[in-house]
Amino acid sequence: MMLEVKALSKRLPDGRPLLKGISFDVREGELVGIIGLSGVGKTVLLRCINRLTEPDGGEICLRCDGEEYRITGINGHKLRDIRRKFAMVYQDFNLVGRLTVLDNVLIGRLGRISTLKSMIKRFSLADKEEALEWLSRLGIENLAPRRAETLSGGEMQRVALARAMMQGCQVLLADEPVANLDPKTAEEVMGQLVEITEKNNLRTLAVMHQPELVRRYCHRVIAIKEGIVAYDGKADIDEQVLAHVYDKASGASKVA
Amino acid sequence: MNRSSLTSTTRLPALPKWLRFRYFAWALGIGAFVGAAAYLEFSPQALAEGAPRMINFVRQLFPPDIKVLPSLIAPALKTVLMAAVATVMAALMSLPLAVMAAGNTEMPKALRGISRLLIEVARVIPDVVFALIFITAVGLGPFPGTLAMAVHSVGMLGKLYREAMEEIDPGPPEAVKAVGATRLQVVRYAVIPAALPAMVSDTLYRFDINVRNSIIIGFVGAGGIGYRLIVAMRLFKYQELLMILLLILGIIWVTEKLSDRLRAAIFGQPLLR
Repeated sequence: MMLEVKALSKRLPDGRPLLKGISFDVREGELVGIIGLSGVGKTVLLRCINRLTEPDGGEICLRCDGEEYRITGINGHKLRDIRRKFAMVYQDFNLVGRLTVLDNVLIGRLGRISTLKSMIKRFSLADKEEALEWLSRLGIENLAPRRAETLSGGEMQRVALARAMMQGCQVLLADEPVANLDPKTAEEVMGQLVEITEKNNLRTLAVMHQPELVRRYCHRVIAIKEGIVAYDGKADIDEQVLAHVYDKASGASKVA
Repeated sequence: MNRSSLTSTTRLPALPKWLRFRYFAWALGIGAFVGAAAYLEFSPQALAEGAPRMINFVRQLFPPDIKVLPSLIAPALKTVLMAAVATVMAALMSLPLAVMAAGNTEMPKALRGISRLLIEVARVIPDVVFALIFITAVGLGPFPGTLAMAVHSVGMLGKLYREAMEEIDPGPPEAVKAVGATRLQVVRYAVIPAALPAMVSDTLYRFDINVRNSIIIGFVGAGGIGYRLIVAMRLFKYQELLMILLLILGIIWVTEKLSDRLRAAIFGQPLLR
């Protein structure tokens, strides 16, 4: 019952290797932080997992409900079907600003209703109720009729979380989910991220830049350095390891 | 840097090379302009000699013939309606074409090429030519004129809609795609909402242009205020002509104000709470 990433590799457009065989598992209900220097390929790694970016090699496999879904090597509607199980939240939230909050959450359901019905915004009452339910669980049901572009950053990220949950996702990929939030809001959103992950048995990967938030909220941490997994273990990561990951001790540049 | 500033204080620098050619370049430019004007049979002398006749003509325009105003209302309305119907039809045709033509909607390459070509063709062919084509099918009248404007407007609206779609932030469409949505769903839920303000603005702008164009289209038999204009000119009814021109001025002023108001009403204030 886990997400498996095996020997994932990806080259930059100029041919230089960026990810050189990344392997790890994420268990159900586990929030795994991904850390590493800027430009090391953390975001690319996340995007390879739901194939927004095409990996050059390796395998990604999701085991859930007694079935095994291979994400690599499929295309078209099969890929779309699988993508529903992978939700993504972003540093800049990526809500559709001119739609209401409710519509933004309902977007999570698009993969499950017919294209024709969705063209005239025909969501079922049950879908709308579920959307409101997620909003209220995140404490923002009063925002439902507001236009998304009028919200604050913290509110936007919660709407993005509600959209992700509307997908009925198994895997949650969070790309620097709290990087654009103030410290207090960041703590709140991280708290909700852990809660959602544990309650819904998600496998959550979060690219993070604040080691103290990783220590406090993540169950485990994976550090990437020079294209490989440099550390995979407890979230309460040692200062020494951290210094190694961020090249503090050596002072060496990542530009090799 | 330092050295050159030093020398400039001690000694006047020699005239740069390009400066020596400056007067020559000016002479060349002025000469080209005068030559072109002469080729176009410009004659200040003829203009000066004819000035009294011109003043006489302008004098004949006054006073505007207010008595004809009631008979102009119906043709004026026809002209505005032609523009409105043509703009709506053009918008309806342009939207699917622009979706197919835009580079960020991931439509099949063949469709993209065909729709771009159609938009280009619609723009290159003047609406008067489209009008002649449709007149051969359905005869004279406002119908072929309106069709002609609609088709020609697709050339501009299709291109502007496409640009509006291509200029949006790529984040939200990608987020919708990541949900497992189809390409059409991405267009419906992320691309069009983001591009809509620009698209509405483009459409109102095109409506302004079409009001002007429907006057011209009236010359070639589509009727409306343009037809009255050409008739008044041919019959030397200059006072009626001035009345028509004043009315056209009024129509254009009103449509501009209206579309400004509409724009402000839609986008001036975000819909809060």
